[in-house]
Amino acid sequence: MKKIEITDALQQTLIDLSKDRKIFLEGNICKVIDYEKGSDFGNYIEESIEIDKSKRRQRLEVTKDIQKKNIELVKKHDENDSLMKDLKVALSDAESAKAQALGDLDIMHKKTQFKLIGKIVHVALIIIISVGVVTTMLYAYAILYSSPETTLIGNTWSNVLGILLTNSFSIVGTIMGVKYASESKSD
Amino acid sequence: MINSILLVDDENLFHLVFEDACSLLDITLTLEAISSSDEAEKRFKHYMEFPNDAQYHKPEVVFVDLNIIGSTFDGLELVNRINNLYGNGVVIGMISSSSDSAEIEKSKEYGAQFWIVKTDEIEPRLERFREDYEGYKNKTMGFKVYK
Repeated sequence: MKKIEITDALQQTLIDLSKDRKIFLEGNICKVIDYEKGSDFGNYIEESIEIDKSKRRQRLEVTKDIQKKNIELVKKHDENDSLMKDLKVALSDAESAKAQALGDLDIMHKKTQFKLIGKIVHVALIIIISVGVVTTMLYAYAILYSSPETTLIGNTWSNVLGILLTNSFSIVGTIMGVKYASESKSD
Repeated sequence: MINSILLVDDENLFHLVFEDACSLLDITLTLEAISSSDEAEKRFKHYMEFPNDAQYHKPEVVFVDLNIIGSTFDGLELVNRINNLYGNGVVIGMISSSSDSAEIEKSKEYGAQFWIVKTDEIEPRLERFREDYEGYKNKTMGFKVYK
């Protein structure tokens, strides 16, 4: 490569500039200027190259450091993204578990309700049947032994049976109503 | 000293690192860095169509990154195209942070002459590359990985 020749006047101007204001030539231009080793201008060019090298070395270290930090930041950003994704999945799982638990709780409430209703019906039926059986037995006894109270017991028996039948239907109606209401609520 | 180098890498910070390292090691005086493999392809098309265009000189060495974000194809494909579509005529190789043996093998198949692993300590690798450069230029040097 042909080197650039600098006139004596310009050489002196450059040397003076470096002495007065510490301004030197920078970059690869220093490497393509022709100079005589050991001369004032030669020393100036060598000093310029050294200063440029030192600045580049410093910049190289800073750039490498920034590059390293940049890579770490990108890595951390990726990690954060992955954590956010995991968190979203966990949140969604927790929400579905909550919905499931609420559903189970509702079913348990209903179960308890139905059990209670079942017990009430059971007890009511026992009472109804017992009263019916006792009254019938009493009526049968009165008929069998021609008791003077037969007519009275017969009327009572018919009244009690009527009341029991009415109550039975009323209980069945109430149960159906409760069942219908709880089904509509869950819908 | 290498006359001119072209670096194809999407990472602008690495352009500065590479430029300073090349200058400190006196590897070249003319270094151009571009961020896209599409731009590199355009240039090689131009070099092939207008070989005597004084405005655009073909570089002597091309360093290509493996993954070039923002380009339509990666570094391996660029090496393949330069070698097989645009008449080669350069010393070409990969410079990547990856050291995956399958990719290294693939780059060799596509005609890359070397693979430089890009880490913090890039200068010693570039220095070793400079020592081997004449061999690559004369095609007497085989494929080499600088780790």
